[in-house]
Amino acid sequence: MAEISFPLPDLGEGLIEATVLEWLVAPGDQVERNQPLVEVETTKSAVELPSPQAGKVVRIHGGPGDKINVGEPLIVFEVPDNTAGIVGTVPKEEAPKRRVRLSAVLDED
Amino acid sequence: MDTLPVASGVAAEPLTPAQLRELYSLMVAVRHLDTSAIAWQRQGIIPGYAPELGQEAAQVGSGYAVDTTRDFVFPTYREMGVARTMGVDMVAYMSTHKATWHGGLYDPVESRLAPIQAVVAGSVLHAVGWAHGQTLSGTPDGKLGVAMTYFGDGASSQGDVHEALNFAAVMKAPVVFFVQNNGWAISVPTERQVAGGSVAARAAGYGMPALQIDGDDVVAVVEATRRAFAHARAGNGPVLIEAMTYRRGPHSTSDDPGRYRSLDEERDGAGLDPLERFRQRLVADGIADEAFFAEALAAAKAEEEQIRNGIQALGSRPGTEMFDLVFQETTPALQAQAANWREESEHV
Amino acid sequence: MSNSILEGAAAAGPAAAATTVMSMQQALNRALDEVLAENPKAVIFGEDCGRLGGVFRITDGLQAKHGEQRVFDTPLAESGILGMSVGLAMAGFHPIPEVQFDGFAYPAINQIVCQIARMNYRSRGTMPMPITLRVPSFGGIRAPEHHGESLEALFAHVPGLKVVSPSNPHEAYHLLKYAATRPDPVIFMEPKSRYWQKGDVDLAHCDADGGTPTGAKVMREGRHLTLVAWGAMVARCLQVAELAAEDGIDVEVLDLRWLKPIDAEALAASVRKTRRAVVVHEAPLTSGLGAEVAQLITQSCFDTLKAPVERVTGFDVPYPSGDLEDEYIPNIDRILFGIQRVLEYKRG
Repeated sequence: MAEISFPLPDLGEGLIEATVLEWLVAPGDQVERNQPLVEVETTKSAVELPSPQAGKVVRIHGGPGDKINVGEPLIVFEVPDNTAGIVGTVPKEEAPKRRVRLSAVLDED
Repeated sequence: MDTLPVASGVAAEPLTPAQLRELYSLMVAVRHLDTSAIAWQRQGIIPGYAPELGQEAAQVGSGYAVDTTRDFVFPTYREMGVARTMGVDMVAYMSTHKATWHGGLYDPVESRLAPIQAVVAGSVLHAVGWAHGQTLSGTPDGKLGVAMTYFGDGASSQGDVHEALNFAAVMKAPVVFFVQNNGWAISVPTERQVAGGSVAARAAGYGMPALQIDGDDVVAVVEATRRAFAHARAGNGPVLIEAMTYRRGPHSTSDDPGRYRSLDEERDGAGLDPLERFRQRLVADGIADEAFFAEALAAAKAEEEQIRNGIQALGSRPGTEMFDLVFQETTPALQAQAANWREESEHV
Repeated sequence: MSNSILEGAAAAGPAAAATTVMSMQQALNRALDEVLAENPKAVIFGEDCGRLGGVFRITDGLQAKHGEQRVFDTPLAESGILGMSVGLAMAGFHPIPEVQFDGFAYPAINQIVCQIARMNYRSRGTMPMPITLRVPSFGGIRAPEHHGESLEALFAHVPGLKVVSPSNPHEAYHLLKYAATRPDPVIFMEPKSRYWQKGDVDLAHCDADGGTPTGAKVMREGRHLTLVAWGAMVARCLQVAELAAEDGIDVEVLDLRWLKPIDAEALAASVRKTRRAVVVHEAPLTSGLGAEVAQLITQSCFDTLKAPVERVTGFDVPYPSGDLEDEYIPNIDRILFGIQRVLEYKRG
């Protein structure tokens, strides 16, 4: 078995977080794809998130009233090894990562 | 309202039982894909979607009247049901909502469906130009290709729509203006959008025949659209159809209708679900049975699965396409920028 | 009513008593609330900005608080919204229209360019146009087509318009309050990708000197090179400055704020000190504001410049779909490359 994490997606044009209103599943539950997992509220609306996949719920992140940032784990499933993978694409705030190094002799003439 | 002369088109033959069943299958496929696409957005598979829940009859019915060998259709961003009915590749269509490519990845020339249009009322005039092109090409009346352009009650407020209606009427262009009046432009209801309450009523001012129809009755939609096509194809000029329907869902996956309409208002406005309505009719007329409905739903589910897999497998387009597709004849400056992009972003 | 207005927790400590933490959305909302309260002639209108509170909730709660006469929804027609603003201004009002997304300003260009921008001139100063046009602008949110455009050069090129863009909640609050009390048309470009990030807002003072926010602002002091930016690119340039510091390069970040008029003195003061400059914007390269900035710097600092001013910008391509957005918008590496080109420049 493998664990697969479902990160909170951007639920509406550039949002950065959502607040958990109510969990509809608990650790240990076996869920089907599209089964409602959790109700969350954003600055724009309240929405129910359907499960991206079937699997057993291992962990849930955040209780009612807690804020979750877009891209952070919302729920973790246990799935057979051969079905593990990354679900979806999440627009992420660009972390200050770099490939380019600067070099210069700064003559102060 | 119906000001379209009866004699102007060919007598429409009634839909056969097989065609009625096909219409139902299309509506179920569209419904299932549409509701699934909302789930995809909540699951992070696509960043956004503009659902058409409740407009299946209007979209499937009108799309069904199109002759893809000679007609051309100009959609907005909410015509998934039309695209599906016209046989457009749905992975390529839905790719616009995956943010793969604005306009979608399908071939608009081959499929006879113009690229998905994000600008409200943006392509209504294009339809007039395309249609006038049919006239200029010397296609004889009776064989004219017809342009059908979609827009909504909201778009009817845009000046371009007035220009398009007037141009089409002046030039007697073979255009069908298909208005889906779904009651809402994001948060603004039709009564605060359309002065006089009817887009179809405006056609009279242009001397254009118009039909205001029950857009939730798929058979009525097919018949009206066929009549309008026959009228335009015969060289009699444009027709406006206002299909009265209801946007049962949000404007888009970023929208929350709870902020501007109550559930009671929604129920009252929406009326009976067009899919359920058609199902009851097919049962009453003995045209389809439970086994058929189950089969149609199973097919819809299998289709959605296939499209979802296709969407999830769809990678980003290569960044070079940003530069390659700007012009037919590129420019040195653009080539230099592309080279610079490759050097700095691809590290070649 | 929603809790958007006046929301924001007071920061700890007596020294920071006037500072609150809020998002740009909240800061803009608060600024508009205060403008409405202070000027009975101020009116806010546009698509969905009344009952819904705007698609980005910038006008959230304002209709409930100030009434439907002061904050109202219009039909869906941008040219109509801007054209009506002209008449309202003639009637003595201060219109604060909203164009829902940057790309929706295009249908209103006629009214903005031919009417709003030149009515003061045409009327020999007797009909001023105190119009504050709010435009959610720039890209970065994986939105549909026409929802990610950078129009500053287009607006700045038009005689009779002023253009401003805030980079953080503090600037947003003060710049909007200032812009919305001016007697001339101001295009207020809100960086929509920065709406939800929170920051400290000092409600009492915008700038350390307590003056009006009319010019550019140094957001980070540095000795070796000046990064010039506005809107969402300021935050990215501040990140880049930190990375450059790791390599011993001390970067100054100048938030231009006003894109017309451009604060030439601030540019000169900064670059006379650093002797090197890179200008960063999301808009396409050719005829972008980077060229204007480069010219102003060259004019004032030609003798002391160590290298030609570099531009790191979007490309001369239509703003791409979400998948390619990060390839288009200047990223950290591309800005670092731009800095490196300036650093290693050798006079021939």
